[in-house]
Amino acid sequence: MIDEQAPRPDPDLLLAAVREEGNDKRNRGKLKVFFGYAAGVGKTYAMLDEAQELLASGIDVVVGYIEPHTRPETTELLKGLPALPPKQIVYRNIQLLEFDLDAALARRPALILVDELAHTNARGVRNRKRYQDIEELLNAGIDVFTTVNVQHLESLNDVVQNITHIQVRETIPDRIFENADKVRLIDIEPVELLERIREGRIYKSERTTAALDHFFTPENLRLLREIALRKTASRVSHNNLSESKTLEKHASSKLLCCVGSSPASAKCIRWTARAAEAFQAPWGVIYVEDLENSLLSEEEKSFVQHNLDLARTLGAEVVTLHGDNVAETVAEYARLSGITNIVIGKSGRKSGVRRLFEKDLEDQLLLLLPNIEIHIIPGNVADNTRWITRQISYVRQTFSLSFFDFIKMIITLFLGTLLSELLYHYQFGDQNIVMVYILAVLIVSRITQGYLYGILASVLSVLTFNFFFTEPFLTFSVIDPGYMVTFLVLLVAALITSALTVRIKTQARYAAAREKKTEVLYEINKKLLITRGLDNIVRLTNEYLIRIFSRSVVFYTKDPDLGEQASTLNCETEKDAHLFLTDSEKGVVHWVYLNKKSAGSGTDTLRGALAYYTPVISQGRVLGVVGISCASGKFDQTNRSFLKRILSQVAMALERQYLSDEQKQILIDSEKEKMRSNLLRAISHDLRTPLTGILGASSVLIENASSVDAKTRTQLLSGIRDDSQWLIRMVENLLSVTRINERTMKVAKESEAAEEIVASAVSRIRNRYPQASVRVTVPEELLLVPMDGTLIEQVLINLLENAVKYSSDKPKIDVNVASDGTDAVFSVTDHGKGIPDADLPLLFDDSAGAPASDADSARGMGIGLSICQSIIRAHGGTIDAYNHSDGGAVFRFTLPL
Amino acid sequence: MEHAPLLLVVEDDSAILSFLTAVLGANGYEVRVAASGQEALSLSSSYVPDAILLDLGLPDIDGLHVLRQIRIWSDIPVLVVSARGHEREKVEALDAGADDYITKPFGTGELLARIRAALRRHASKVGDSSAKTSIRVGDLFIDYEKRAVSLSGKEVHLTPIEYKIIVLLSENIGKVITHDTIVKHLWGPYAKDLPALRVNMANIRRKIEENPAEPRYIRTEVGVGYKMAEEADR
Repeated sequence: MIDEQAPRPDPDLLLAAVREEGNDKRNRGKLKVFFGYAAGVGKTYAMLDEAQELLASGIDVVVGYIEPHTRPETTELLKGLPALPPKQIVYRNIQLLEFDLDAALARRPALILVDELAHTNARGVRNRKRYQDIEELLNAGIDVFTTVNVQHLESLNDVVQNITHIQVRETIPDRIFENADKVRLIDIEPVELLERIREGRIYKSERTTAALDHFFTPENLRLLREIALRKTASRVSHNNLSESKTLEKHASSKLLCCVGSSPASAKCIRWTARAAEAFQAPWGVIYVEDLENSLLSEEEKSFVQHNLDLARTLGAEVVTLHGDNVAETVAEYARLSGITNIVIGKSGRKSGVRRLFEKDLEDQLLLLLPNIEIHIIPGNVADNTRWITRQISYVRQTFSLSFFDFIKMIITLFLGTLLSELLYHYQFGDQNIVMVYILAVLIVSRITQGYLYGILASVLSVLTFNFFFTEPFLTFSVIDPGYMVTFLVLLVAALITSALTVRIKTQARYAAAREKKTEVLYEINKKLLITRGLDNIVRLTNEYLIRIFSRSVVFYTKDPDLGEQASTLNCETEKDAHLFLTDSEKGVVHWVYLNKKSAGSGTDTLRGALAYYTPVISQGRVLGVVGISCASGKFDQTNRSFLKRILSQVAMALERQYLSDEQKQILIDSEKEKMRSNLLRAISHDLRTPLTGILGASSVLIENASSVDAKTRTQLLSGIRDDSQWLIRMVENLLSVTRINERTMKVAKESEAAEEIVASAVSRIRNRYPQASVRVTVPEELLLVPMDGTLIEQVLINLLENAVKYSSDKPKIDVNVASDGTDAVFSVTDHGKGIPDADLPLLFDDSAGAPASDADSARGMGIGLSICQSIIRAHGGTIDAYNHSDGGAVFRFTLPL
Repeated sequence: MEHAPLLLVVEDDSAILSFLTAVLGANGYEVRVAASGQEALSLSSSYVPDAILLDLGLPDIDGLHVLRQIRIWSDIPVLVVSARGHEREKVEALDAGADDYITKPFGTGELLARIRAALRRHASKVGDSSAKTSIRVGDLFIDYEKRAVSLSGKEVHLTPIEYKIIVLLSENIGKVITHDTIVKHLWGPYAKDLPALRVNMANIRRKIEENPAEPRYIRTEVGVGYKMAEEADR
C-alpha cells in the first residue's frame, strides 16, 4: 500500500496515485450510502425507490439483502426487483438469515442492494462484518447501495452514546463512509418520525413504547439529526477540498493519542480521530509498554489490544514502544515524528499519597514538550481498585521466594558477620561494623531477585549486630536507641538497592528482547540481500518464521486459484503443515490475494481457517501470502506486527527478484525476437532462391522434353538435385532452432563426449565432400561437455561446410578441441582466402548475410552462421571468427564446462 | 538367378511411393506396397517379406505400433523411415526392435545401402545358427571363445566392462545400439549411468582407434547410441 504518511508528496507518487485511483475507479464498484439519523427515517425505502428507477432504465439490479422487519410500504417497493435468496445459517439451534456473499459474487449484477451496512454477521459466515462483504463486492467491480445510521459510525460512537445512553455495538470504520462514492442523506423532521413510530409503522406495537422511552425521545432525535447533518456537511466540504488533500495533510498538524490499558482510552482514540478528521491532519496512536506491562491482567491486555485495533480501524498509525518512563518515551517519539498535538486521557485515578510523589503524565509531558499542545480527555471511570490490584500483583512478583536467593543471603550475611567479628577483635569500632553490614545488605539486594531478601537481610543484619556486637552480648536487648537508626539506614539501603536492581533487570530484559528482534530483522535483511531466486527467498523466509514463531508456515507465491505454488515448512513441534494445503485453506489465500488484507484465524474474515494469512505487499501488488499456523493458539498482535516488519523486508526481496526476472525475460524476448526474424529472413530469401531453381529446371524439362539435349538435361537435373540437397540442409538448420526452448532460450544439456560429436560431424562432411581432407585433434583426456549434442553437431557441420566452400578444390580443414579449464574451445580452421576484414564484424550479423560481394556463392551462410550463434548463445557460450596469419579463416566457439 | 528379395514398403505418400518402387524395382527388388498400418500388418503376415520399409507417420495407426505387432511373431528386418528427425523417436524405434532408422529426406544410394546391410545382417544371423566364435572388422579381431581382442595381431587389454561393450556392438555389427540398451546390458535394468558409458567408450576408443576423433570401428550416433562399422573404411 502506498504510505500516506510520506513526509513530502513525491510528484511521481502523486501521479501514480492518481493513475491508481483511475484504475481503481475503473475496476472497483461504486458505493452509495443512504445515510440517516435513526431507524425509520426511510433509508431502505429511498434505496428501493432508486433501485426501481434504475431497474426501469435497464440496469441489472439485484436485491442482495433487505432486513425482514421492513414496513409494508417498503415491502411494496420490493416487488419486481430480482432478489437473491438469503443464506440460512444455523447457530445454536436458531435459524439465522444472512446475506449470501458468494451467490452475489457469482451472480455479478451491475448493482446490488445490501441493507444495514453496520450489521454483524452470524458465526460461520466468511466475514465478521457486513461492510467487509460490501468491500468484497466493490473489489469485484459490483456497484453497491447500502444503508447506515449515524450512530454506527465508529468515530461518532461515543458521542452518540453520551446523548442517548445506549451503547451501539455494531459500528463501521469511518473510512467506509468517507470513501463512499455517493452519500445520500435521508432526513425527516423528528416530529414526523415520532409520529410514524407512534402509529406503529416502525416497530411492532409491543416494542414501540420501549423504543419511545429509551431512544426515540425528541431530544435524542434532534441531537442525532444534528450530528448526521454535520457529518454529511463535513463530507461535502471535505470533498471540495480533496484536490489539495495530500498536500495539506502534511502541511498542518499531526496528532498523537496516548493509550493505556483502560477501556476509557477508546474515548481518547475516537476524539482524536474526529479531531484529525476536522483538521485534515494525520494522526497516530502510541502505546508504551513500561515496566508494569508484565503485570497486566489478561483482561487489561485485551483492553490494550482492543484499543489498538480500534485505532487501526479508525485509520491511525499505531506505534508500540518500550520504555520505563512513559512520559519520556512519548516525548521522545513526539519530538522525532513531528507531533503537534498530544491527546491523553485522565481518569484522576491517582489519589492521596501517590499524588505527592508522582507527577501526572500530562505535567511531565508539559515539562518535556513545552511547544506541543496537550489535550486532556476526561475518563468516565476512576479505577483506584485496578491500581491496587496491580500493586498487589507487583508486590507478589517482586517478593517472590527463591531457595537460591535465600542461600545467597545467608552466605553473604555469614561472611559479613565473620568480617565484623574480625574487625571487632582488632578493635576497629562499631561504626565500621555497621558499615560492613550495610555493604552486606547492598550486596544481598544486588544479587537477589526482588525486594524480599534485601529487606530480610537488613532485618537480620540488625538482629545479628544486636546479638553479637552490642552489650549485652549474645542477647537481643538493645541498650542504645541509636541502633534503631542503624536499622533504618540498613532498611532504606536495602529498599533503594533492590528497587534499582529490579528496574535494571527489567530494563535489561526488555532491551534484550528488543535487541533480539532488531538483530533478527537485520539478519533476515542481510540474508535476503544476498539471496537470489524465488525459491531460495521463500525457503529462507520460512526458516526464519519458524525459528521466530515456532509455528508451521506456508508461503504462497501465486494465487492458488492460478496455480500450485505453495511452499510449506513444518515446525518440529507442530503437526504437518501440509494440512494447510486443503481447498478451504486455499480459498482463504485466494481471498487474501484478492482483497490484499490479512485473513484467517484470529481476524475478522474467514475465522474458521487453521492459520493466519497475511499478504506480502509491495507497490499495491500482492507478491505472496504467508500463512502461520494457529494450531498452538492465536497469533497475537505483537507477533503480527513483528511478522509485518519481517514481511516488509521479504516484500523488498521479492520485488527485487521479480524485477530481475523481468529484466531477464526482456533479454530473452529480444533474443527470441532476433532469432525469429532470422528465421523469417531465411525462409523468405534463402529458401526462395533454390526453390526457384528447382521449379525452373523441372518446368523446362517437362515442357521442352523433346528439344532438350542430353547434356543440358543432365545439367538441369543435377541442378535440381543440388538445390534439393541444399534445401535439406537448410531445413535441418531451421529445425535445429526449434530445439531451443521458446520460453527460456536455453537448451537441454547433457554431458557429451566432445570427440564423439566432432567425429560424427566430420564423418558427415566426409560423406558429403569426399574431396575434403579434415584433420581432427582432440585432447588425450576425455572431455565431457554439457551440451545438446545434435545442435553442436549442427554447428560443427555448418562451420565445416562453410570452410569447404571458402577453400580451394582440395580443401584442407583442421578441427581442434581443447579445454581451457572453464570452457571447451572448438575451432574450425580452413586454408582458403580468409574473410575480408570489412566483413569480420558483420559475420554473425544475419542482416549482412554473408559477404555481400558474392552473395550467390555464399548463399545461406549468413543464416547458417546466425543459427550457429543462436545455438551457442543458448548454451551460454561464445562464437567468433578471425583470419589466421597464413591465410584462411578460423571459426571458434566455446562451451562452458 | 536367385529369387529377387521381397520388400514390403509401408508408405502413404504417393509421390514417395512411386519413386521408391521405381528405385527398388530398378535395383532388383520385388516390391509390395501398403498404404496403411492395418494393410501393412496383414500384408506382412501373408507375404512374409525379406525386409520391411516402414514409415512411422501412417494415417490409421502409429508406425511404432505396427513395428511392435510385427516383432511379436517375426524378426524380419524392419527399416523405419520417418520425417521426424528427433533422437527420441529414433531411440524409441530402435528399442522397439527396428533394425535401422532412416530420416527423410534421404538419398537413394543411402537407402539401398541400408537395405542391403539389413538383409545381409539378417541372412548371416539366420545362416549359421551356431554362435560365431570370432569376428573380424578391418584390423580388429575379436575372439569370443578366448575372450580376447587384438588389433593388427597385437593384443588389446580391455576391462571386463569394455569387453562386454565391444562384444555387444560386434554381435550387432552395423546396427545402432541405443545408449539405454547398452547401459542396461552392462549394469542391469535399472541403471541410468550414461556418463559412465561415455567414459568407457572413450577408453575403448583410445585402445583400438588411431585417432579417437576419427573412429574407424565404433561410430557415434549423436543422441541415439553407438554402432560398430561393418567395413572399417577410412
